[in-house]
Amino acid sequence: MSSRFRLFDRTAVMGSGYIFAMVNRMQMLYYVLILPKHLIHPYMMAGILGVGFLSQINLLILAKYLTSNYFVLGYRGFVQLFSEKVVRLFAILGIFFILIKVIVTTLGYVEIVHQFMFPSMKTSWLIFVLMASGFYIASQGMEKTIRLSIIGFLATIWVILVYIPYFLPPIAETHHLYPLVPGEVSLHSWYGLLMVWSALSGPEYLVCLGPWIGPKEKILKGMSIGNALSVFEYLVLFVACLLYYGSPYLEKISFPVVNMIRYLQSPVFERVDLILISLNMIYFLYLIALFLLCLYGAIRIAAGRINIKTNRKGFLGSVIAVFICMLIINGWFWREGEELNVWVTLQLWLGAITYLLVPSVLVIAMRWKRGRS
Amino acid sequence: MFRKKKRTAANQKKNEEKNRITHEAVTLDLLKQVTAKMDDAEIVQRQTNNGVSFSLVYIQTLIDKERLNEAIIQPLLQSKEQTFIQGISTCSVLRIHAIEEAKEHMLFGSVLIHDHEKNEWWAVKLENSLSRAIENSETETIMYGPKDSFTERIEQNVFMIRRRLPVTELKAEKFQAGSNTKTQVQMLYIEGIANPDIVEIARENISKVNFDLILEASNLSAFMDDHTHSLFPQFMQTDRPDSCAYSLGLGKIIILLNNTPFALIAPITFFHLFQSPEDYVHRWVIASFLRSLRYFSFFIAITLIPLYVALTTHHYQMIPLQILYVLMESRTKLPFTPFWESVIMLVIIEIIKEASLRMPTKTSQTIGVIGGIVIGQAAVEAGFASKVLIVLVGISAIACFLVPNYLVTKATTVLQFLILILASFLGILGIAFGLILLLAHLNGLSSLKQPFFAPVAPLYWRDWKDLFVRAPLPWAKLRPEYLKTVKKWRVSKGEGSE
Repeated sequence: MSSRFRLFDRTAVMGSGYIFAMVNRMQMLYYVLILPKHLIHPYMMAGILGVGFLSQINLLILAKYLTSNYFVLGYRGFVQLFSEKVVRLFAILGIFFILIKVIVTTLGYVEIVHQFMFPSMKTSWLIFVLMASGFYIASQGMEKTIRLSIIGFLATIWVILVYIPYFLPPIAETHHLYPLVPGEVSLHSWYGLLMVWSALSGPEYLVCLGPWIGPKEKILKGMSIGNALSVFEYLVLFVACLLYYGSPYLEKISFPVVNMIRYLQSPVFERVDLILISLNMIYFLYLIALFLLCLYGAIRIAAGRINIKTNRKGFLGSVIAVFICMLIINGWFWREGEELNVWVTLQLWLGAITYLLVPSVLVIAMRWKRGRS
Repeated sequence: MFRKKKRTAANQKKNEEKNRITHEAVTLDLLKQVTAKMDDAEIVQRQTNNGVSFSLVYIQTLIDKERLNEAIIQPLLQSKEQTFIQGISTCSVLRIHAIEEAKEHMLFGSVLIHDHEKNEWWAVKLENSLSRAIENSETETIMYGPKDSFTERIEQNVFMIRRRLPVTELKAEKFQAGSNTKTQVQMLYIEGIANPDIVEIARENISKVNFDLILEASNLSAFMDDHTHSLFPQFMQTDRPDSCAYSLGLGKIIILLNNTPFALIAPITFFHLFQSPEDYVHRWVIASFLRSLRYFSFFIAITLIPLYVALTTHHYQMIPLQILYVLMESRTKLPFTPFWESVIMLVIIEIIKEASLRMPTKTSQTIGVIGGIVIGQAAVEAGFASKVLIVLVGISAIACFLVPNYLVTKATTVLQFLILILASFLGILGIAFGLILLLAHLNGLSSLKQPFFAPVAPLYWRDWKDLFVRAPLPWAKLRPEYLKTVKKWRVSKGEGSE
């Protein structure tokens, strides 16, 4: 049985559709649900657009690496670019970054489920179910997990349409959209921009998927469309929140994007938010699976076992390790009800740093390599 | 290590013995031994006009006895030639040497003839061509379109397909499967359209089948499935020659087995299981509507009862007040939780469904009435189930049958139970878990190594023309992309543009 357990096999290359779906769903993870509360002011709409533009520039830099021959070679490309020792060092760093991302994403989602759906349920059970499902999806291999991005995208993209009523009277209060020009720029506003930047992070993890995505010509196109759609969704959700709550009330409410859906009326169901929270699980699960695979790959590189075949026990072991870390953080360190707790803040900074540095470091390394040869 | 060596030596010895037996020359004594205690086997000795004596060995139940006399015995008796076998007018006469060869021919309806003088053996094909007539398809009935369906005779089935596709590119490769059944298998495909890699995978898979009994199409597909434990069939079974011809034209492969009226079609996708031959008979708008209705019914069938359990167990707040009144009134005196109430009713419905399938037609109608009215009504009056649940169970039971593929209908039932369990624990979230895992599972499946969830994942936009809607036929100028066919265009003018 173990001989058939191949996680990193490749039979086909995934085109721009997958890149677009992956980039978009990676950027719409967790922070989108809390972001409006921290942006507050209407003029931050321009902030979202500006950071979105910077994100596009960053993607242009990233695309330089993704369209190089190093990228297609995957691990061997990294070794050629740096050296085996440096790659192992990066892998160790990567383990930390991915671990924090998986933990914060999962616990963030669990908190939403706990708060809105099952307030009396022990969160450990939810974490277990999410991790078990993530393991099942990931154990089908990287190729099939990437393929799931399309399903995740198609299953959830329409959710944005649910927010249309918030743009229409009598719900929409247009005066909430003013002032569009800031009177003064506070430190909080800069922090809001950092949050948008961090929320748009995620595409940098495409560097781990070298052998599976292509062709070169379509990578930038896929990423750009994905990024543009994400910025559009962020804008729609932020404006919807502003129109519905108004700035003064917006900063007082937790998970505004989820909360406002509670008030939608439907002849068949009330509390539509419960359906949408459940539905959103598909891309949370998909990304948990994807990051678990990246994490396992990073562990193999760090342990110098890249040439040994993948096996079920090893993968299960790494998933169990993540699960235990998650339980520990959830049990002792996660402060529920406080959206920007220390872990979310840590991930905020880590996401921003990885998104800024990964493309730049890779392109600089490529230039340096070219200069030497 | 020693044991391994010993085992290898034993295997080698066994193989040598097998080879010896296989190549052993056929003799009358050996055939007598082989046919011992086979009362339907006959060994007849006669002499020609020239005085040459010959023997006939055959199994009378397998051959056409009327033709035996006129096609073999009479010509042989009257033969004046030295090589009397030339007098036989039957088309298929084969020289045989080894006993295994003789056994095989005899068991497939040949008469073995032994020329005593020259000590030569011949096999003359005289198979009993008993078969039922070509009838209407019972499993895939349609109002308009061809009515004929396959029979148990493979030659007849191949004929029905060839008649629809009179092209020399239609290839039919023969195989044998089942060490005891020696079932004749034919793999059909159109050369120049079907992807050679897929043909090779199918060829390899059929050759690898190692089992004693391959009695019908499902037996063979069980050995060829990429995913043995999945609830979903990875080969489509059909008894309609027109469906087979259509699939061949698209670039798929058809596998026919002797003694079974069902052909296997592969590679298929999940979405093929929702397509009916009648989709291509109706106007495209109507066909699209009916197809969408099937997908919706599948969704309803697997989620309706779990949704009832989720709402009544975990999320009362989701039910609008007016509906909540009805629900509460209906559930007030029930002794069971919504989960157990649903499980009991679903199990009863399944029992009724199974009983009505196994019973003779007239009895099954009675069972339907008893099940539908008496048990439903009685369950409500006795206070075992709520009226609302009875309505929902009825809807979901009927919705199950809208899927044209019976194997999927059964899979739907199991899925319904699995999602029901998840819904009882996690409510709406449990249903979402069930559906997401179902999607992930479908995404991981393959049919002849081709993705099962195409054209959604992998995404082939072009193939969406025949997915949830059935676009007008003139728009379907290209073959499905996921099949990676050699010829992409279905219309002649485009061939040059490949």
